[in-house]
Amino acid sequence: MALKILIIDDDPNIVTYLTDLFQENGYETCSALDGSEAMDVVKKETPDLITLDLDMPEEWGPRFYRKLCQEDEYKNIPVIVISGITGCKYAIQKAVATLVKPFDRERLLKIVKDTIG
Amino acid sequence: MVSQDKNSSILIADTNEEILDVLQLVIGRMGYEVIKCSTAYGIFSEIQIETYPVIITSLEFSNLKGGELVDMINKQSPSTQIIILVDEHSPDTALKYLDKDKGVSDFLTKPVNSAALEIYIKRAFKRRERQQKIYTLERERDSFERSSLQFRQLFDEIPCYISIQDRNFRITGANKLFKKDFGDYIGSYCYNIYKHRDEPCQECPVYFTFQDGNHHQTEEVVTSKDGKPHNVLTWTSPLRDSDGNIYQVMEMSTDISLLRNLQSHLTSLGLMMGGMSHNIRGIMTGLEGGVYRLELGLRKDNKEQVHDALGTVKELTFRIKSMILSMLDYTKERQLSPTNVDAVKFARQVADIIALKAEKNNIELKIDFNESAGMIQIDPDSLNSCMVNILDNSIDACIDDRPRKERYQVGFSLRGNNDYIVFEIADNGVGMDQETREKMFTLFFSSKGNKGTGFGLFLSNHICEQHGGSIEVESEPGKGSVFRVSIPRIMSEENRTL
Repeated sequence: MALKILIIDDDPNIVTYLTDLFQENGYETCSALDGSEAMDVVKKETPDLITLDLDMPEEWGPRFYRKLCQEDEYKNIPVIVISGITGCKYAIQKAVATLVKPFDRERLLKIVKDTIG
Repeated sequence: MVSQDKNSSILIADTNEEILDVLQLVIGRMGYEVIKCSTAYGIFSEIQIETYPVIITSLEFSNLKGGELVDMINKQSPSTQIIILVDEHSPDTALKYLDKDKGVSDFLTKPVNSAALEIYIKRAFKRRERQQKIYTLERERDSFERSSLQFRQLFDEIPCYISIQDRNFRITGANKLFKKDFGDYIGSYCYNIYKHRDEPCQECPVYFTFQDGNHHQTEEVVTSKDGKPHNVLTWTSPLRDSDGNIYQVMEMSTDISLLRNLQSHLTSLGLMMGGMSHNIRGIMTGLEGGVYRLELGLRKDNKEQVHDALGTVKELTFRIKSMILSMLDYTKERQLSPTNVDAVKFARQVADIIALKAEKNNIELKIDFNESAGMIQIDPDSLNSCMVNILDNSIDACIDDRPRKERYQVGFSLRGNNDYIVFEIADNGVGMDQETREKMFTLFFSSKGNKGTGFGLFLSNHICEQHGGSIEVESEPGKGSVFRVSIPRIMSEENRTL
């Protein structure tokens, strides 16, 4: 079964980009445009990895992450932070990695491969 | 005996050699050194070599008229006293040559009475001495006047505010620039003129200098008599009397408003850039993604993907272009993008943003918009932040004033006339004193006592000015404040391309 990645970002252009990128490299994808709807998508799709944007209008990244950690079933899903905020290295300390936009495609793919295969 | 130096030498001159010999003997016995001349030319030669304090001379020389002789001596040596020898038969001739300005003040009739001679000679020396003294005093006075003038010019022309104060902070002296910008209020209190306060400032450098005799330095915001605030760097210096006690302190202030304005412009530029950075990064990522998807689409001959990706690239290229252009414009002042909006709709949006905060803090937000206020040409994003800042400030003023009043209210009203739309924000919060009111729109360096002078209000004022509008403030400590923001309905050409 293919590995599934959940893409959370309020910018639809970036969601499309990451979707095509991951799909091209053999992953399945699903997405959410805000932290507020993301939890529902997690429950529905049970992804193997999450890429998380930080600055979103309704519910921002760190708030969503707190919610995620409160659910035993989902708290161990690895998270990669992809954000436009510089200096956000410690926003989510348990993240697998924190990338600043614009990110290096190859580097992102390598981190994903090393984390879930 | 009088000492034998040139200061006590006398020149005697007459055509009659016998008279000269007698005179030389008599005067020599008095203790003076005597030089004889029997011709006008002789006199002329002698006075070239030496300056004689006293010259006793007849005026009857063949080749020289009496008046000419006196003039010659006086011209060569203005300090020489001249005693004229006159013929017993014509004493009147002497009278016309009596001229103290030319050194001629006495005459002796021949044959000379030696007692009279001695008296006259002594008088002549005394007169000379007095004249020398007067001359020296005059020179010293002129020199003093010159330095006094120089000092005064220096004092007045220095491009700093200089005031001199006594221990009670009364201004006893001020330079031209100080008087020009703060008024000629010699005798008033410094804190009153400079800061519009009723009592001395907290960390007054003048006070410290009176205490320890050292220089002190601070940065202050002062207000000139036309109401303009100035950021100044102030330096104090003790002035001591001849016993070494400090009796006054000199306060010198350099206007650094220009520097601070530049600094605040750069700060707001930095803030703006910081805010935009995140946005730009997002756009760049989207652009990269678009290009990647374009490549994919071309490689797989997927026309739909190509079309979609190209659309993304076009849109994002346009967005990043406008961002960068507006950023470049800001470095020479950001260009406003004016749009025609309905004033009431705009005001409602502003009210919505602040409504939650008011509610959370139990403050009534009272809206009063004139529904027919009409249209206005503004940059909605920036004017929006301008208004929100002011409303936010008013809410904070109420929070700060708690629990002095039973009910707190912030009124937000909107009126319009032909040329202007006026937004009025009134609160019954803590209010501001005159000093705070005058400083509130400056980017105040020192952060002490910062009630109501946050960065937000500075930005509000800036945005308002960019629109060609103005903000009026009325406030009373303990009662509350009213902010009146007037914005022209039509944005003028010069504000558009500012």
